[in-house]
Amino acid sequence: MKVTAHHKLFAMALSLGLIAGCSSTGDTTEDGTYDSDVSAVDQEGGSTVYGGDDGDGVSSSEMTEEQRREAEARAERAEREAMRDITTFYFDFDTAEIKSEAREVLVAHARYLQSNPNQDVRIEGHADERGTKEYNLALGERRANAIERFLIVNGASRSQTETISYGEEKPAVMGSSASDWAQNRRVELVFQ
Amino acid sequence: MRGHERDVISTGQPPWKSPVALSVLMHGLVLGVALAGWSWSVPTEDPQPPSISARLVTQNEPEPSPVTEPTDQPDRDEERRQEEEEERQRQQEEERRQAEEEERAREEARRIQQEKEREQERQRQEEAAEREREQQRKAEEEAARQKAEAEAKERERQKAEEEKRRQEEAARKAEEERRRAEEQRRKEEAERKAREEEERLEAERKRKERERRLKEQQLEAMAEEAQQQRAAEERQRREAAAAKAREAQMLSESQKYQALIRERLSQAWYPPSSATEEMTARLQITLLPTGELASVNLVSSSGNTAFDNSALGAVKSLSRYPIPDDRDTFERYFRQFTIEFNPRRLR
Amino acid sequence: MMGPQMTNRTSTGKGLSVVAWLLAIAVMIGSSPASTELLIRITEGADSAIPVAVVPFSESGQMPSGDKISSIVQDDLTMTGEFRPLPAEKMLSLPSSGDDVYFRDWRLLGQRYVLVGQLTRRGDKIEARYELFDVNREERVMGATASSSVNSSRSLAHHISDRVYEAITGVPGAFSTKLAYVTLQRSGGEPLYRLQVSDVDGKRARVRLESDEPILSPAWSPDSRKLAYVSFETGKPAIYIHELSSGNRTRIADFPGLNSAPAWSDDGRSLLLTLSKDGNAEIYKLDIESRSLKRLTNHWSIDTEPTWDHTGEGFFFTSDRSGGPQIYHKSSENAEPRRITFGSRYNARPRPDNDGRYVYYVHQRDSSFHIARTNLQTEEETVLTRTGSDESPSVSPNGRMLIYATKQGGNSVLTVIAADGGAAYSLPASEGDVRDPAWSPIVQ
Repeated sequence: MKVTAHHKLFAMALSLGLIAGCSSTGDTTEDGTYDSDVSAVDQEGGSTVYGGDDGDGVSSSEMTEEQRREAEARAERAEREAMRDITTFYFDFDTAEIKSEAREVLVAHARYLQSNPNQDVRIEGHADERGTKEYNLALGERRANAIERFLIVNGASRSQTETISYGEEKPAVMGSSASDWAQNRRVELVFQ
Repeated sequence: MRGHERDVISTGQPPWKSPVALSVLMHGLVLGVALAGWSWSVPTEDPQPPSISARLVTQNEPEPSPVTEPTDQPDRDEERRQEEEEERQRQQEEERRQAEEEERAREEARRIQQEKEREQERQRQEEAAEREREQQRKAEEEAARQKAEAEAKERERQKAEEEKRRQEEAARKAEEERRRAEEQRRKEEAERKAREEEERLEAERKRKERERRLKEQQLEAMAEEAQQQRAAEERQRREAAAAKAREAQMLSESQKYQALIRERLSQAWYPPSSATEEMTARLQITLLPTGELASVNLVSSSGNTAFDNSALGAVKSLSRYPIPDDRDTFERYFRQFTIEFNPRRLR
Repeated sequence: MMGPQMTNRTSTGKGLSVVAWLLAIAVMIGSSPASTELLIRITEGADSAIPVAVVPFSESGQMPSGDKISSIVQDDLTMTGEFRPLPAEKMLSLPSSGDDVYFRDWRLLGQRYVLVGQLTRRGDKIEARYELFDVNREERVMGATASSSVNSSRSLAHHISDRVYEAITGVPGAFSTKLAYVTLQRSGGEPLYRLQVSDVDGKRARVRLESDEPILSPAWSPDSRKLAYVSFETGKPAIYIHELSSGNRTRIADFPGLNSAPAWSDDGRSLLLTLSKDGNAEIYKLDIESRSLKRLTNHWSIDTEPTWDHTGEGFFFTSDRSGGPQIYHKSSENAEPRRITFGSRYNARPRPDNDGRYVYYVHQRDSSFHIARTNLQTEEETVLTRTGSDESPSVSPNGRMLIYATKQGGNSVLTVIAADGGAAYSLPASEGDVRDPAWSPIVQ
């Protein structure tokens, strides 16, 4: 299944638009970071859609030190808040490896859970439609488990987390293009 | 055998009625009549009747003829028999001659006797006449008479002597004859033996010659035979080479049609689902010269009925088999052949 | 010629049979035709399917509406990929009994077999008298009668198909078996899952379970009376046993984490299944009666999709212990696993046939997913499908057909192929996806 460059661009645009719609910050993403990460076979679709830093052009040297510090703290909080809006994490085909750009977001979620012990999270693992249903159930579970471990390592409590795998049963998007598959290979955090 | 038969036959008859007795009687009568005519003049000369009678009887016997039949016995036997025969004849001759000699002597004696008797008669008659006329001269004549008597006696003695001498001479002559014959016989015997030896040697030589010739002939025959065999082998080689060339041609021709048949049958064969690569069915088929199927015979089953049937169906589905035009090739390869169904590559 | 003679003799006595054998051998040596006679070996058959004429059955009396029995038979035979039925309009005559079958005509049409029959209505029953003829051998292969109630005339048709198939191929037909599968409709926004059971031709489908949560992995019990499957109806996966006649259901496995991939044992007393209650996906054996569990695999990798092999002693499963999913086999519950597949980096969900010759599975080649099989004796792998997003292979109980799910126009559909990869036959698609097919055993 060769995907043409045109197709690829379209898929990227689609996924960016999707993220933009979901994200309240409306921040831009760093296009350059994921293209180098994707493998030729599995991830032409540009599913690396995580929001990056949006500090560009925000800081001002004219502010006072206090103002500046306050602003920074505010910005950091806002940043964390913004990061916590990202609840979907994507995977390469047949892997459960958390991508590097997802780590900061997951750390933010972990910190949030740590500071809110009454908050539970349901970690839902998914796979794309390719491959077999039962194996994909196990693969979705493995992805969910990977995320769960990361959260716990970074401050969340085991009692706050719960995992479930739907395998390929609940795709995020319908369709059988590479970008559809990329969006469906995911773990979703559902805060309850 | 025959005599015996006759004995058997004659058992029921009185002895006098037997032909032998009758014959004896008949001859007796004849002889009696003959003797009656003879007996007065020369009764002493008669041969003794019993021996004659007996000879007649034996002659009357229907003896098997002593004809010498030609036999396959070797020459020497034949020669010996001939010699014996000659010897026998010679002896018979000798006996006959002696008998004649004796007869002659007896005849002479009789003649002398008769002469003497006639002389005595004449003397008696002369004496009577003499006594009448010469009584007177008795005295002087007595001397003459005695002298004549003495002379007569002398002549008589001389005659007897001569006779004796003659007899002795005859005996000597006979003896001489016998000796000569004996000598002759010995000489002939020696000659015969020499001849026999010569013949034996000749036969031996001939035998050896024959054997040699036979051997030569055999050798010649063997040589001839070997020669013929070589020729035959050569011919066979040539024929085989020709046949081989022909065979090769037929083979290549047949291979072409084998491939065609294989292709047609592969297209016509639907191996059933149950077929495995281990299954093999063999069918012997017979074709008509037109290429049409004459008969098909399952000679080796695969053990799977569906498989066997699929093979039979394939073979029977061809309305006409591709076969070579050449009749010899057809007869050699395609009149009857075997088809083996054994899937190597199942779908 | 010799064969029958010999069999005659063997029946008369042992000594005589020995004599007959010696005779036969002597005759064979004496004539020895094998050595001189031409031998032609045929090692390949026709690539095409067997031409067969299913003549429309004559009918007397009122027949049920719907498909004709002979056309159902025709479709059954077509579905196997092994037969190529002659369309009725091309037939020169339409005989309904053997007396009217002229082999020459059928031979001209290139047909190998002719099926003729008569249907008679007797009360609420239909009686079928049918005969199968071999055109080239000019023989009647089979003749029989069968009957069914008017309402189950399709069963009658499938029964005839089974008999015809077995008569020709030597393998029992599987047309009277059932399929279980899952349909998914998303038209109304919310998904709707349905577990259904139908005839092998997809007809007479009946919904057995409906849910707006996923239903997965239906598996037939050996007696064809029950299904085991995975349902998310409680919000998380659990395994249920569903008795079809009564509709009674039992939740047999509801452990934390995964409860998936149930597979029945031959005796119907236990299930193989995949649980992740101990950390990751492992294979367990669950005794249905006692509910006792025995763990059969222990590895940090994913072990799933178990299925018993034909011996009932060992089992196949999928594991990614080598890095990607591959098929493994354990010859007994405690044996070391042996890897079966090496052909590509993705081979999963093994399904062995019933005689241990092949194992079928999903096989990735390049970026496509096909159904492939490996010959367990030769270890030769063959890709069977040309479609590209193939899933869920299930072998027919006679080992001759394979059903699997593939994509068609964005939807999942079921396709039947010959188990050796012959012609495909798509089952009529309902709305939405049709997936997870499972072929029932043959039940006598």
